[in-house]
Amino acid sequence: MQAAIGHAPHTPAPGDHDYAVTGIDSRKLGMWGFLASECLFFGALISSHLLYRSRAPEGVHIPHDVYDIPYTSVSSFVLLMSSLTMVLALAAIQRNDHRRLRIWLLATAFLGTVFIGGQVYEFTVFTHEGLNLSSSVAASSFFVLTGFHGVHVTVGILWLLSLVGVSLRGKLPAEKHLQVEIAGLYWHFVDVVWILIFTVVYLVPNTH
Amino acid sequence: MAEETDISGDTPEPPGGAVATEEESEQTPELAAGDPGEAGLALVHHAPEHTHPSPAKYVGIAIFLAIITALEVALYYITMPEWLVVVLLLILATMKFALVAGFFMHLKFDSPMLRRVFITGIILAGVVYSVALFTLRVLI
Repeated sequence: MQAAIGHAPHTPAPGDHDYAVTGIDSRKLGMWGFLASECLFFGALISSHLLYRSRAPEGVHIPHDVYDIPYTSVSSFVLLMSSLTMVLALAAIQRNDHRRLRIWLLATAFLGTVFIGGQVYEFTVFTHEGLNLSSSVAASSFFVLTGFHGVHVTVGILWLLSLVGVSLRGKLPAEKHLQVEIAGLYWHFVDVVWILIFTVVYLVPNTH
Repeated sequence: MAEETDISGDTPEPPGGAVATEEESEQTPELAAGDPGEAGLALVHHAPEHTHPSPAKYVGIAIFLAIITALEVALYYITMPEWLVVVLLLILATMKFALVAGFFMHLKFDSPMLRRVFITGIILAGVVYSVALFTLRVLI
């Protein structure tokens, strides 16, 4: 086992198609800029839910009444572990180990799919409990927040599967590891957003 | 892990081992087939620009993250003052956030500019929505 894993190096020089005066690949810088903007996007959705999470007509459930914390904890654990498999995929391509790259990418996509399946099941249960997008402002803000997060995870799964396809066609050599790294940044961000949602939306007591 | 290729900075650079361009590598059958081979090894046998943690360290971080998650869930069931539960939950969530961003997203090892870009987004969101939620009396 190695003590450290390094990038497959590529230092663009002036004139190269990927040269940037910042010394950082523009695609990577762009992804970080996008993720910074996503902080504002999800911040707005989380804040809206905190504002409205107790507002429901009398006799109508609010989401907090029907949370199944053990179930959601397992879902959260699954998504957390998908971040591990994602970073192992990046480490694999940086070692030029394409077989493990594909295994870890598929594992990440699988764990993401398990998470999405869990979310669909949770939504189904909530719907049977009388919660839907229009039953109350509380339910609406909950479904919009977790639904948008689910859409992000789904986009991530499709992205990972496309990388597996590209790798299978032999078009993802080690020096293109940045493609995996950028997909990984997106995937990890989706994970950290869920870390916040799980804590703030599910675990923080709702006493208002 | 035994058969993994060594690409640590200790590995001597191969003779004339300049990094192959994308065009060159796409024309290399060994790489196209996903077989490291000599050409593939030449691509990665260089001193790294940044040093990332080893897979073992990633696994260690993931185990720590799982333990923090278990603590969070335990806090949900433990009877204690609400303010204390909220404070502890936020501390644990912040730790998880920092570990994933720092190690899995490599913010700890990458260019400070990337850190500044991301932290700007976090601070902007934190300030804007905290002000809004304080104003609407959701916080406090």
